[in-house]
Amino acid sequence: MLPDPRETVLVRLARAIRQRCADHKGDASMQETLVQVRGLSKQFKRDNGETFFAVKDVTLEIRRGEIFSLLGPNGAGKTTTISMISGLLTPTQGDALIGGNSITKNPLAAKKMLGVVPQEIALYPTLSARQNLQFFGKMHGLGGKELDRAVDEVLDLIDLGDRDRDKVDNFSGGMKRRVNIGIGMLHKPQLIYMDEPTVGIDPQNRRRILDTVLRLRDELKMTVLYTSHLMEEVQEISDRVGIIDHGQMIALGTVGELIQKVGEEDRLIFKVGEQPVAEALLRRIESEAATATRARYERREIANSDAGALATAEGILTVYATRGRKALPDIIRLADESSLDILSVEVREPDLEAVFLHLTGRALRD
Amino acid sequence: MQRILDIALNDLRIIFKDRSIWINLVILPIVISVAVGYANGAGFTGGGTVSLRVDGFDADASAMSAQFLDAVRAGNANLVLCPMDQTEADLCQLGDEALTAELAQTRLEDKVSLATLEIPSGFGAALARGEAVSVIYRSNEDATAPSYILQAVQSAATRLSGAQIAVQVGGQVADSLSFLQFSDDADRAAFLEEIRGRAAAGWAADLITVETVQAALDPATTQTSGGGFAQSIPGIASMYVMFTVLPAASAFILERKNWTLQRLATLPISRAQILGGKLLARFVMGMIQYAVLFGFGALALGVTFGSQPLTMLPVMIAYTACVTALALALTTFITTDMQAQGITLFMSLTLAPLGGAWWPLEIVPEWMRVIGHVSPIAWAMDAYREIIFYGGGIGDVIVPIAVLLAATAALFAIGVARFRFSK
Repeated sequence: MLPDPRETVLVRLARAIRQRCADHKGDASMQETLVQVRGLSKQFKRDNGETFFAVKDVTLEIRRGEIFSLLGPNGAGKTTTISMISGLLTPTQGDALIGGNSITKNPLAAKKMLGVVPQEIALYPTLSARQNLQFFGKMHGLGGKELDRAVDEVLDLIDLGDRDRDKVDNFSGGMKRRVNIGIGMLHKPQLIYMDEPTVGIDPQNRRRILDTVLRLRDELKMTVLYTSHLMEEVQEISDRVGIIDHGQMIALGTVGELIQKVGEEDRLIFKVGEQPVAEALLRRIESEAATATRARYERREIANSDAGALATAEGILTVYATRGRKALPDIIRLADESSLDILSVEVREPDLEAVFLHLTGRALRD
Repeated sequence: MQRILDIALNDLRIIFKDRSIWINLVILPIVISVAVGYANGAGFTGGGTVSLRVDGFDADASAMSAQFLDAVRAGNANLVLCPMDQTEADLCQLGDEALTAELAQTRLEDKVSLATLEIPSGFGAALARGEAVSVIYRSNEDATAPSYILQAVQSAATRLSGAQIAVQVGGQVADSLSFLQFSDDADRAAFLEEIRGRAAAGWAADLITVETVQAALDPATTQTSGGGFAQSIPGIASMYVMFTVLPAASAFILERKNWTLQRLATLPISRAQILGGKLLARFVMGMIQYAVLFGFGALALGVTFGSQPLTMLPVMIAYTACVTALALALTTFITTDMQAQGITLFMSLTLAPLGGAWWPLEIVPEWMRVIGHVSPIAWAMDAYREIIFYGGGIGDVIVPIAVLLAATAALFAIGVARFRFSK
């Protein structure tokens, strides 16, 4: 069976992340705190009059020069958190300090240090890319030649120099995203918030955006607060990650630190179709397969899209092992001895998906 | 202030990028103003004065009857006596037809003419003999209302009667003076004609005149105020200011949907600057709307706006500010673009007629006039009418301006307190 192509990517990413963490440990500026969030909460009222907390008691610190990501499923409270930190929403409780300036008490000073890239394409569609950049640049206090220079630099950075006079309305989704990001970095802020900047775009543009984010940190020395529900991109670019779920911060640390929480085990995922897996086989795998620690079986119903057709089931055998590749031959042998046909296998090295699963009991995409 | 101007200029640029704005800003308001102006009685001769058409029958065709008709014309410059004053442009609307009694009756019923005047045969001879004579005046006018035409006819009759009395008295006095001898009847007739001429000149000199203070102060004003257009231009302009400014509510909703409003809220600019810029753009649009229609009225229709037209500027500013504040307040109560469009249309089409934009509030019952003043248009129209029709100055329009500014303050307070960048 061919290995999952993602496996090699993940291995490469994990190596790069570990290397980056090691590199940054010696950087003194990385230790300086730029953003302090203390007990931030936001309460909303539903249509029926009930109140609920979209964000509850979130506390975190973002260090100067790092990419800090908020990871969580849709509706977890990432955008609400970022909206409060950027001054768009007033917190019900708590506060955020940006460079020592309170976003609630001294918002203009705090906002001067910020560049915000909202999840939505917040552009004037009938204006050109250049006109959009010029307008928002003026709002940041830029003017004259300084504004022209900043606009040209950003157009160059987002690779839209040749389309600068075209109406934004005529751009592709990816190009609009790039203008959206460009506006956030126009005034060279110390801190830039990016709320799910890769939502709804093709892989090529997504790659461009992730590269741009890395350049912001590595070349322009900006601090980035990044939110996403996509584990892979968070894992690739982040120095530290906060995992948020149901409005609460449930874990915070470097990718390595978070992975340590789940014991740094590989996951081997076997699809077995509708075949049942006996309890005896699970015990044999745990005791006989090299480095295996746990094995479990779950059966998922799969709804059939054909009207009137019966639902089918998919059996998943998951084995946790400290060295997945070493355990794999033993597991295949034991399955063969129990007459269990393995339809596919996937080896997953420890990742944030596993962390989220470990902490919440459900997958990030559920 | 610079940020406010930048936001306003950006909004204006976006508004004017849509070329259809010219339809709503220029073409439609002009067309409607002209139509409503005619409906309000704008003259058939154009945008300026009103023509009062009167059909006349001069069965006497004497020098005396001609003198009488001249005196009638002198009584009101807007009178057109038909067919005597017929022009190539068919001012009498007779075409090639000869005026007959039947035709005159039909024209009167159809309100093509406002009155008929018949001078009987023997009119001049009877007057020369000092006998009483009648001219017949027919009209569909309200008997209780003062008639400009009837006043002119009566004035002419009074003048001619006065001159004739002077002739009779002069003749009697001359006959009683023994030292005054006429060589023959022709000499006597010439003497009497001399008296008539002097009496007529005396009448023309208007030794006693009545100066009307309220109704028509300045002859220049009353001659050129423009009748129906003087009503329709400020009325329709005020209505279209609503059409232009109230869509600020839609614009706010659209910006919220596009997230540009939220993005502005994350920038180092204050809430007051953002709202100020957005509302300034709409305010400017309202003032442009006023400039378009008043400019058209003055240049194309020949309407003049009172003896102190600059007094209208503070009225325009106060009214446009009020509508801008209304737009902000509305924004805080509506959540969708459909709601915004519906409310904008409803408010404009309700407040405009209620406030006297389509017709003068003077013609509606008293209770409707009171209700009408819930509309800011009513206060603005009160001020415009005072300036345009009565030659009012700033002191005469202080109350409407104060009411509009008070409403502006109240609506702004509601709008600012309730406004949220995100819903």
